Amino acid sequence: MKKLITLTVNGVLHELAVEPRRTLLQVIREDLGLTGTEKGCGIGDCGTCTVLVDGVATFSCLTLAVQVEGCAVETVESLAENGKLNALQQAFVDHGAVQCGYCSPGMLMTSTELLRRNPHPTEQEIRRAISGNLCRCTGYQKIVEAIQAAAGGQHE
Amino acid sequence: MILPRFDVLTPATVTEACALLAAHTAAGVRILAGGTDLLVELRRPIIPQHVPRCDGCPTHPEGAVFSTIDCTMWNSEPLMAAGGSVRAAVKPPAFLLSLHKLRDLRGLQKRTDGSLRVGACTTITDIERSRDIREGWTALAEGADNLGSPLVRNRGTVGGNIANARPAADTAVPTIALRATLVLRSTSGIRTIAAADFPTGPGKTIINPGEILTYIEYPAPAKYSGSAYHKLANRKALEISTVGVAVYLALETPGGPVADVSVALGAVGPKPLAAASVGPVLLGRIPDETAINDAARAAMEDARPIDDHRGSAWYRLQMVEVLTRRLLKTALARAEGKK
Repeated sequence: MKKLITLTVNGVLHELAVEPRRTLLQVIREDLGLTGTEKGCGIGDCGTCTVLVDGVATFSCLTLAVQVEGCAVETVESLAENGKLNALQQAFVDHGAVQCGYCSPGMLMTSTELLRRNPHPTEQEIRRAISGNLCRCTGYQKIVEAIQAAAGGQHE
Repeated sequence: MILPRFDVLTPATVTEACALLAAHTAAGVRILAGGTDLLVELRRPIIPQHVPRCDGCPTHPEGAVFSTIDCTMWNSEPLMAAGGSVRAAVKPPAFLLSLHKLRDLRGLQKRTDGSLRVGACTTITDIERSRDIREGWTALAEGADNLGSPLVRNRGTVGGNIANARPAADTAVPTIALRATLVLRSTSGIRTIAAADFPTGPGKTIINPGEILTYIEYPAPAKYSGSAYHKLANRKALEISTVGVAVYLALETPGGPVADVSVALGAVGPKPLAAASVGPVLLGRIPDETAINDAARAAMEDARPIDDHRGSAWYRLQMVEVLTRRLLKTALARAEGKK
């Protein structure tokens, strides 16, 4: 039995009929076709499915769509402005923080939340903030540097 | 993740939640708060997954197959673990009762008597960022700091962490040390219980079908008191503790004798434990080096650790002593206002 919910995704209001067991991740990817958000472990360990729900970094794989009824969701697709990468995304590219790219949507959304809450985080604060997002390529250093650069930090 | 079929009930008030819970108990219903534990438990076991070795779990060395119900009180079928190392399929409940609309249950309320009432649906992040909790109930703030990852803390709730009753739960251990009272609600009224008496084993509590954990009430800290929690673990995030210890210590006067002490232990027994042996050793004494050493050794008597991949029983027992000693000193410094 499907439930009717409203969901604002990247500023667009959607009215959706969803099965109660469907996760926010499934709805974003399969119903809305926004495949920038990745599915990783599916159990809240890797963080690549991170989206912002009412501004809070949330793993969409462990959130039922019906639990976020009426909320505003931001996905990685919302970051680019007029087809141009935003400062954070560009910093990821410039600093080699993207290798295989699988963790990038989650890393970007988690660091977007961090920088909104704390525009000038220390390295330790950055490392702590992304500690729920796994990256198996970069060793995190380049990601930390990219976030520092985007924050206008004391990079290099 | 493909979840099994279930329907979700979304009550708007606690009263409605209790009524819905009572009405659906026979059909099978589980309470959904943050979902960080429950949805993982309910997922279909597509890939065999190791489960931690603890009492009652399928990988426990005592036997590959266990027949008692441990993970869920709603399913009456015995869980069979093939080969002893695979998470068994949990029969899904027909209903999940989601608490996300119960705004009353989210947030902190400091009362005039100095006590603190925490809604069960308050997220771990809210607790971590609360200045009141960090100042008055420091051990709880330090438990929240160390739970899961920022993403888990953003979704996970303190009520869920306590009700899920894992032996290492990072907010349950300080909650016991701080002598909190849990408030349970059902259609037949309100029941309160001391946090230490709530868990009964891994994943098991005294909660009855039809009851919802609504609030956690932390008593006002004494004037000269301090508390602290330490999680001993291999990683800084996404980790289950090897040993967790929480301490609350109150002095009659700064530099004076111990007026009150409470120690709770995590991951060294089938549930988070109150270390009752510490009180008689330390109460009334000046908390000098000798007294603190005696108290730390006493805490070992209450631990019932097992061997598993996180550490041996012997190692855990030693760490109970070490951590209790260090935390008593930290709590003492805080009680004397030295932070």
